[in-house]
Parts: sequence; C-alpha cells; structure tokens
Amino acid sequence: MSDPMNTANISIELRNICQEYPAPNGQAPLRVLDDINLTLDKPSITMLLGPSGCGKSTLLRMMGSVRPLGVPTPTRGEVLINGVPCDGPHDDVVMVFQRYANRPDLTVWDNVAFPFTLKLWRDRFKRTEWQAMVEQALLDVGLSDKKNMRPAQLSGGQNQRVALARALVLRPRILLMDEPFGALDAQTRTETQLLLTELHRTHPCAVVFVTHDVSEALLLGDRVVVLSSQPAKIADDFEISEPRPRSATWRRSSEAVRLEERILDHLHAAGQGQVRITV
Amino acid sequence: MSLWNPAQPLSPRTRTLLGVGAVATVLLLWTVLSGLELVAPNKLPSPWKVASAFAYLAWDGEAGRSLLATATLWSLGRVVAAGLLVMLIGIPIGVLMGASSHINAALSPLVDPFRSAPVVALLPIMVMWFGIGEGMKITFLFLGAVVYLIPMVRDAMQAVPQTYWIATRDLGGSDWECIVKAVLPMAMPRIADAITVAVSVMWTYITVAEYVNAREGLGQLIQNARRFSAMDQVFAGIIVIVALALFTYQGMRWLRARAYDWETGQ
Ligand SMILES: Nc1ncnc2c1ncn2[C@@H]1O[C@H](COP(=O)(O)OP(=O)(O)O)[C@@H](O)[C@H]1O
Ligand SMILES: [Mg+2]
Repeated sequence: MSDPMNTANISIELRNICQEYPAPNGQAPLRVLDDINLTLDKPSITMLLGPSGCGKSTLLRMMGSVRPLGVPTPTRGEVLINGVPCDGPHDDVVMVFQRYANRPDLTVWDNVAFPFTLKLWRDRFKRTEWQAMVEQALLDVGLSDKKNMRPAQLSGGQNQRVALARALVLRPRILLMDEPFGALDAQTRTETQLLLTELHRTHPCAVVFVTHDVSEALLLGDRVVVLSSQPAKIADDFEISEPRPRSATWRRSSEAVRLEERILDHLHAAGQGQVRITV
Repeated sequence: MSLWNPAQPLSPRTRTLLGVGAVATVLLLWTVLSGLELVAPNKLPSPWKVASAFAYLAWDGEAGRSLLATATLWSLGRVVAAGLLVMLIGIPIGVLMGASSHINAALSPLVDPFRSAPVVALLPIMVMWFGIGEGMKITFLFLGAVVYLIPMVRDAMQAVPQTYWIATRDLGGSDWECIVKAVLPMAMPRIADAITVAVSVMWTYITVAEYVNAREGLGQLIQNARRFSAMDQVFAGIIVIVALALFTYQGMRWLRARAYDWETGQ
C-alpha cells in the first residue's frame, strides 16, 4: 500500500543460498536448496513455482526471516533486503500464509488491527492514524460490512481477505505469499486472484507469490521463477509482459500455451528426477 | 437413531430421562439393599436415614445451629484460599514453562514426577513442617492441586498451533509479545480447563486435609460421624462434598463457555 515513490529502491537478493535439513535416520543431511541466486528489485509480482516439497516455502521463509524451525537457515549463503543482510523479521516485509492464521478470538476488525497492538507499529502511528488505516484496508478487501464478525463466521475466501488486509494495513513494500489461495475452491480462488491484481495496481509493492499451480503463475506473474527439485535449483526465470487482468483469450493465445508447456517441461523433468532417486 | 454413535445428538428430554433414570435406579437399588437389610444398617444406612441426618446437620433445632453450614463455610474457605494460591503461583509457572523450551526443560523434572506422586503420603511431612493448623491444610491442598495445574497450563500453551507465534513474529512482534499477545490468549480456554480440574482435585483432597487435627470443616464432620459410627451422617457429608464439587465444576464450565465463546465455534 506504499505510494509508488516509495517502492524505488526495494530489493530482495538471494546469494548462493543452500539449505540442508538433517535426515531423520542419521544419514547425510538432505539438501533441499542448492546454490540459489535471485534478485527481485521491482514493485512487480514474482511467481515462485515448483513441484510440491521442492523447497518453495523454505525459500520464502528465508526472505521473510521467519525461522520457526530448529534448523539454521540458510545453511549457506546470504539474504539481503534493500541491500542489507537480514537476520530477523524486516519492517518492509510481511507474509501471508496459506493457513491464514487469523485469530479466532478476535473480530475481523481486531484481526486487521492486530499489528498495531505490537510495540513496533504502535510507536509509529497515532491511534487515529492507524484506525483509519485499518478501515481503509478493510475497504480495500471489501470486508467493511463484516468487521464485527469472528473468523469462524466467515468463508475461507473471506478469511484469506482478512489475512491480506492484515498484511496490507502495514503498507509493506515487500509482500510474501505462500500458496495463499491454495485452500480455496476454484471460484473463490479466481475472485481472490482478481482482488490481488486490483490491489497491486492501486498499491504497487514487490510481491513474491509461491504456488504450484501453473495457471495461477501465468495469470498473476510479471515474472515467473521455476524451481527444480531435490535439490532445488532455478530451472527457469522469465517475464510476462501481458498486462493484468489477463483475459481468457490471452490464456488461450499461443504465447500463453507456449509458456505453459515450457513450465510443464521443467516440472516433468523435476518429477522424473524424483523417480530416478527413489527407484 | 443409532446407539453406537458418540456424535448422536439427543433431545433434552431423552437426555434428562436417561440421566434421571440412572440416578433413580441407583437410589432404588440402595433402598432395596438397605430396606431388606441385605447390607447391615451400620454399613449402609437407608436413603431416608441419610436424608434425616442431612436435615439434622442442616439445622439442629435443639442447639439452634447449622453444623453443615459452618462446616461448609470452613471447607469452602480453605478451598478458595488454596485455589487462589494455586492460580497465583501455578498459572505463571505453567505459562513460563509453556512459553520457553529452556524453562520447561529446567522445571519439568521438578514438577512432572509429582503428578503421579502420592501427595497424601506427604501429609506427615507437611505436619512436621507446618504443624497441624491452617498453614498445613492450605499447603496440602495447594500442593495437591498445583502439581496438576502446572503441567496442564504448560500443555495448554504448547498445544497452541505454532502458526500464531510465527504470524505474530512476522508482523514484528518481540519474543515476549508473541507469547503474551498470541500464544497466551489462544491457550486461555485450556488454561480455564486446567483451573477447573485443579479445583476438582482440591475438593477430593479437602477431607484428607481436614482429617488431621479435625476441628472444623466437612472433613471433620465426616471424621467425627465415623468415630461415633453415625454412617448416615458420613453419607450426608460425602453427598454435600460431591454436590459442592459438582456445583463449582458446572459453574466454572459455564464461565469458561461464556468467556471463551469463540472456542466452541471452531
Ligand atoms: N524443519 C524441517 N526439517 C526437515 N525437513 C524439512 C523441514 N522443513 C521442510 N523440510 C523438507 O524440505 C523440503 C522442502 O519443504 P518446503 O520448503 O516446505 O517445500 P514446498 O513449500 O515447496 O512444498 C521437503 O522435502 C520437506 O520435507
Ligand atoms: Mg509449501
């Protein structure tokens, strides 16, 4: 939700990222990510695509510097946010999870206002200021009329919009989304994708969007980064110049079909790799 | 309608009918057993003898006093005093243990074994340390309940899905804010359950606490009656304790459901 001037010098830089997880039975550690180098420095939507279990969440959590695991991350390499090595949650970066983590004990309004109960944000905004921000965020995601309800009274799509509002209310310059629409039904997913497109147009910021859905990547991405598997390397990295929202006609165009096949080839290659290893 | 289905909803009528029916059956069995003197009357007094003992205890016309009310107030006072101590000390310790793996690792060997320790066997030690007055009784009740409360509060904290901790952390919350603003509020319904259990435990220990140096309280009332082989009064005393325990239990369940109404909606 930052103003465009403000997105000038944002960047996420991944340098020689390797991630290993200890194997359960004392074998050599499992290498999940292998020498990933990636720079994101535009207020655009970057889709991070790869087969299930290839390490997308691992990579995204690194960018968010959220480390819930008892494993040091990254094993090797460096994450730089706006050029500075980063070793903790960054004010510029907010995550949206697939399990939206809405608080069942709080109303929709209180969920979106939750960040401002934390000292970090409370100290930066006056009360009237952040209250207006909460109202605006609810308006942006179309939930103003539901603000006194509890998450249990809302649908999955509405819950995900609450989570989106809670992230956007902080006006992050970098938004990390981990399969945010993965748990939604097809109809709701399409609606929420459109909402994201619209929000990104009015409030540009750098979005990194993890998905394993090829259609979603083609529908939303300014840039698509495809990961291989076991260990994950960057298999492909390309841009899509077609403006959003992208029509069904474009989705059927030769360009889109060609891109889809290109991605599927990589995913199949990754899949075969897996088979070879397990056999 | 299926008999073997735990989720089968019952109409209030059916529920009441089954509950009342079961209690009535037991009363009937009791009446038959004692009425036909299948069990000696000095071992099993008849229901009406218990009822008249209850009436006598509730109001002794000759002496113009209510033994039951005095005894109940004493026992209630002890449970309340010990209960406040248990919550004041037990909840913070359990919360800290549930908030930090380090604190948990350090304290759990000191706390967990006592969950299965024979607290009653500690009574002689407590008499040696704290004498036979109120201090000993409250301490005994406190220890008996707090060894259940602390692990339960800790478990309540640990049972909160880590997503809430992670999401708060990601929004810039400090370590302490993640605990106090996310994990603790989410653990509250189960902490309330832990308090309910602790209070129930205290009601079961109250008689033991009041056996030593019996002067006042329901435990003393039962102890005294037993000494004079007044089994009807023993039964009446036990029923009062059970009723009090049940009443506090239901009251606390009701409070919990009201305070944490969001939890049932999940
Ligand atoms: N804490 C962990 N300990 C051990 N292995 C893990 C851990 N987290 C993830 N992994 C493994 O790393 C791989 C990648 O996981 P993840 O990043 O969640 O994949 P994705 O999000 O692409 O589905 C998986 O094989 C998973 O089993
Ligand atoms: Mg994932």
